[in-house]
Amino acid sequence: MRRPLSAALVVVTASTILSVARADRVSSQGVELGAARNAIGTLLIVHPDGIQDRLIGKGLVRLFEEDVVKTDAGSQALIEVGDGVMVALNQNTALKLLSRWEKTKGATRIIRLQEGEVWVKTGSGPKAVEVETPVATAIVKDSELNLKVHPDGQSVLTVVQGSVDFGTAFGICPMRANTVSYGVRGKRCTQAEPTDAKPVLAWSRPLLQ
Amino acid sequence: MTFDRRLRRARSGAVGIALATLAGCAPTPPPKPVEAPLNRIYVANESSNTVTVIDGTSFNVVGTIDAKNYSTHDLSLTRDGRLLFATNLASGRVSVIDTVSLETIASIFTGGRCHVVTLTNDNTQAWVANIGEDNISIIDVANLRILGTIPTGKGPTGLTFSRDGAYAYVSNQGDRSVSVIDTSTHRSIKSIPVGPNPHFLVVGPEGRIWGSNTGSDNVYVIDPGSQSIVGTLKVGPAPQQIAFGYKGLAGPNAYITVGGLNKVLVAGGDPANMRVLEEIPVGERPNGIWANPQGTRVFVVHEGSNDLYVVDTGTAQVIAKVNVGRKPIRVVVSR
Repeated sequence: MRRPLSAALVVVTASTILSVARADRVSSQGVELGAARNAIGTLLIVHPDGIQDRLIGKGLVRLFEEDVVKTDAGSQALIEVGDGVMVALNQNTALKLLSRWEKTKGATRIIRLQEGEVWVKTGSGPKAVEVETPVATAIVKDSELNLKVHPDGQSVLTVVQGSVDFGTAFGICPMRANTVSYGVRGKRCTQAEPTDAKPVLAWSRPLLQ
Repeated sequence: MTFDRRLRRARSGAVGIALATLAGCAPTPPPKPVEAPLNRIYVANESSNTVTVIDGTSFNVVGTIDAKNYSTHDLSLTRDGRLLFATNLASGRVSVIDTVSLETIASIFTGGRCHVVTLTNDNTQAWVANIGEDNISIIDVANLRILGTIPTGKGPTGLTFSRDGAYAYVSNQGDRSVSVIDTSTHRSIKSIPVGPNPHFLVVGPEGRIWGSNTGSDNVYVIDPGSQSIVGTLKVGPAPQQIAFGYKGLAGPNAYITVGGLNKVLVAGGDPANMRVLEEIPVGERPNGIWANPQGTRVFVVHEGSNDLYVVDTGTAQVIAKVNVGRKPIRVVVSR
């Protein structure tokens, strides 16, 4: 499904305001969390009731709480998850859009990466975004990162800019730019090691053009 | 305030007093922490999406808490009684309830059809079994973030930890089994066949794990030393939950709600000599059951008659009845 980009911006802005206004109770499947913006190949959106939507090329598909977005082999996609958070999906990737509500903090956006690889860039907004994998969680604020999940759940986090708190159930590993850490089931994440982050990002650049 | 935050505050307060005393100044007393209410009974009402709060002495209802989600099913209370975690089957979310203000203060998506929640023995994590996703979600109690997941068998429905916390036991509806998970590696080390529709699990006397086959008519006991079944007992159709109490000198005995009989059956706690000692008629379709810390009362909720009975274990008599919400499933009691 394709829609003009200018209309898309209006819809995203309005819906983001709406979702913030509604988030003071509890999140539900009707809360809009963002929009799909660009797909090389096809981005499949599966709503919680099983209804599917697709984005092919540039356009806009609104995304809601508990939506699952998926790319297949040969497809990549770019979505925006409110507050200027950009998420690129590499091929063979699936993630779920969620939020946690707290009385004192309101809604926190959560990207639950089920399989595949994502690039995430967040703005300098007041709130962190949490990116979950089967074995680890990254707390992201004013940062840029690449996160890859292997079939056994092993999660490889590369920080490109800013700092990220990366943790498993066994401990947290603070990370800075140009470092990499591994999260494995049943173990603490590995201490952040220096790395050249640029080559890791190469796959996501065409989506940003 | 969470367990960890309260601990940190208590520590910082102690350091502050010590420093002020050394400096010769009169110390400013730290703010008195708000204590959690004692002797409270909490009931999860699945069809009301609420938790009923009952005073454990007068048996009067002192409040009803909106879980802010749908199909409130299971409950787990922190040891200090300050936070109550509630699963909500239809929402796939856990509600976090402040027991002082009697309100839901957070809502966390764990996974589809989240069924039961159990706190680790140190209360730092809440483990949640998600029937629809065949896994357990781990919640960090201090900051309410998801720390990861653990794969289980098909349709995880029950969850408990061994006394030493080394193992978690997960009943799997779809596999008719109990998975034993090593908590140091988050990996399943054994699958124990148990029977049709295994449901509730709880740690019992001498650290043995008791479970019910709700799709059948029996309960079973697992020895964590051998990780094998060491006893079974036929109790009647649709056994549900289990608590442990005393009848005078006798005990600890197992008190088992049997939904198909509208009774609580009392069984000896020795798996080598399992037999029904007593049958206590209760309300319509008993499900949740919990004993007071002394083991002299058991509290039974009935999903058919929407009420809670207080049973005196010494006389096996119902001494109080309290109306609760619709379809009560689980009852827990503060220490």
